[in-house]
Amino acid sequence: MPDPKTNRYQYFVSRRQNGEGAGGDGSCEHPLPSVRDALANIAQQHGGSAPQVKRLAGYDRVEIFALDKPGAPGQPGRAPRYEFYVDPLGAADGEGTGTAQRPWPDLDTALAGVARLDEQGSIPLAPGEHMALSVREVFSATPIDRRRRRTETIAGIVCGIMTLLLVVPLVLILGHLVVKAWPALSVSFLFENPRTSMTAGGIWAPLVGTFYLVFISLLVASPIGILAGVYLNEYAKDNWFTRIVNLAVVNLAGVPSIVHALFGVGAFVLFAGMGESVLAASCTLAVMTLPVIISSTKEALASVPMTFREACWNMGASRWQTIRTIVLPNSISGILTGVILQVSRAAGETAPILFTGAAFFLNVPDKGLRYFLPYSLDDSCMALSYHLYVLMTQVKGASDEQIAAGNAMPLEHLQYGTAVVLIGLVLAVNSVSIGLRVYLRSHKKW
Amino acid sequence: MATVSTLPDGPRARRGTSSRFRRVPELLIEALIRLCGWSAILFVFGIFFFVFREGAPFLFGGLNLREFFTSSKWNPTANTPHYGILGLLTGTLAVTALAMAIAVPLGLGAAVFVSEFCSPKLKEGLKIAIEMLAAIPSIVWGFIAYMTLNPMIIAVTGAPVGLNILNGGIILALMSVPVIVSVGEDALKAVPDSYREAALALGASRWELVYRVLFPAAKNGLLAAVLLGVGRAIGETMAVLMATGHANQIPTSLLDRVQTLTATIAAELGETVQGGDHYRVLFVIGMLLFVIAFVVNLTADLVVRGVRGKQNA
Repeated sequence: MPDPKTNRYQYFVSRRQNGEGAGGDGSCEHPLPSVRDALANIAQQHGGSAPQVKRLAGYDRVEIFALDKPGAPGQPGRAPRYEFYVDPLGAADGEGTGTAQRPWPDLDTALAGVARLDEQGSIPLAPGEHMALSVREVFSATPIDRRRRRTETIAGIVCGIMTLLLVVPLVLILGHLVVKAWPALSVSFLFENPRTSMTAGGIWAPLVGTFYLVFISLLVASPIGILAGVYLNEYAKDNWFTRIVNLAVVNLAGVPSIVHALFGVGAFVLFAGMGESVLAASCTLAVMTLPVIISSTKEALASVPMTFREACWNMGASRWQTIRTIVLPNSISGILTGVILQVSRAAGETAPILFTGAAFFLNVPDKGLRYFLPYSLDDSCMALSYHLYVLMTQVKGASDEQIAAGNAMPLEHLQYGTAVVLIGLVLAVNSVSIGLRVYLRSHKKW
Repeated sequence: MATVSTLPDGPRARRGTSSRFRRVPELLIEALIRLCGWSAILFVFGIFFFVFREGAPFLFGGLNLREFFTSSKWNPTANTPHYGILGLLTGTLAVTALAMAIAVPLGLGAAVFVSEFCSPKLKEGLKIAIEMLAAIPSIVWGFIAYMTLNPMIIAVTGAPVGLNILNGGIILALMSVPVIVSVGEDALKAVPDSYREAALALGASRWELVYRVLFPAAKNGLLAAVLLGVGRAIGETMAVLMATGHANQIPTSLLDRVQTLTATIAAELGETVQGGDHYRVLFVIGMLLFVIAFVVNLTADLVVRGVRGKQNA
């Protein structure tokens, strides 16, 4: 039975065998009758024919204890009465003697040697005493080493499982949504307007509304965000004011989305007099997504090497000329990544548009130019995310007769279909951003 | 030599006048850049100002602050309305606490795995997966909570309704974990490689490197990661609205339904009369949320700056 701390294998031998110890397994309670039996046992357990895992390796140690009576070992801390060594590399040619200077070359030789000494009677063990056979191997791991490696492996596996616990739900959720939405998904689902109190038709009107919101918020947010990023990376000095600006960006990113909605109501809907409109909702989304653009622009600009700018300044270019002709062109892909991320975030948000311009239902014409451009800036619009919310909370499903007659779709299909289109839209946009980043990294100029 | 000596008052003088004109648009655009740079401050103040502007008349005229914070009676539409947010506060805290109990170990473990244990290729893939997790819109999370997690919780725990703290906590944990992973990974990455090399040279295993060297060195960044996760969880609206069951009570068990601050605003603002007490008290809650988010973010920022200052010194 090995002790994991010191890798010691202990065998117990009782001199007073008188039959009672015979057939013992070498444990303290059932000792073996003689040292010879113990050696035979060791040879069987760890010798040349034993499986790989049980063979003795560096720093392993076998101890044979002599017992007064079963179950009563001697003082555990005492040094062994006799010590023998096995060291394959340190063994002199021919047979060793088991001493530290002339160790035995392998375990089988060692056991034979000990057995010979035992037969000669030159290694008598008084009760309470023990002998030890240590295996020494250069470059093999010590027990402490092995324990540390084990901890390392366990830590790696645990961390890996934690990571897996994040990835698995993602896959499950996406798979589940797509499977559930499959009956609803079709081209007509995308391009038809919702009909018969939203129990039939598709999601064209909300989809266009989302495009409206995203596009206008992009028009508002990206110039401000990109210029702010330029300011922070190219103009701002390293002082307290810049620190406050940076802090403001971080805080803007951390403001809860529902507070953005309240801000939108207070500032755009009421104060600016936009009313609940596409414009107000887009402006709210723009403020909300501004920090995304600012920080990714900053990052993209910071990755342009300083030497590029210095070279340009040395040619006599002004600061703005340098930015316009050198810095921006070299970081445009990174900036685009941020802008695209803004798009995906704006498309998915619901809370900020709840009270600033999202409509429960709007009648969108099925034909003509108004089919493609149904909303005006000063009027509210439908949006995909809000449409999903409405479908979940306020729409009553169609009756079975209607569904059977083909006049309506089951509510669940509509819900899952909408959710999948929304998530697909967002993830597609995100994938573009990721793809752009990967492309950018592989085509780096510096 | 003669041509060189004429240069100063020849071409250069002319270039001076023309560049003065050329600098006008440049000055304009630089002014615009500065203005945009400062806009972040403007917007933060703007948010507070406009939310305050709508909430202030009731905050200073009529709202019983003592009742507001100490009573759990939220009944704004009754004949004698009660505005006590204790139930909403505890609801928010309970869901956030459960979410963090799940998300912090998972997030930090994943950050360690991504940054220290896995191969570069796997790392790239995992980071993309985590970004995808972050990209799922909150209303879709709410949808998943409502349609999928709800029956699962009913089946597993036997609760009558699966929309409760447990549901909200799991959903919020999954939503805030990407923040924790990415900020945590950045914090681990920011530890100088010389620390790693020194530890490995002394014979540390990778786990000892993480536990004894990287954690102490990156503890501020990791703390900031956790704080940002908390901020995200407190501020989340649509998902918790759908997931927590939206019932105002002080929770006593994981299977209790709760109502959060954010969800209250989202659910009730549409039904209020503009300018009424109910309408204004929702803006007061908005102010409270803004202040909480501000404090959390400021603390996270100070925590990170603190370590940077120390390293510079």
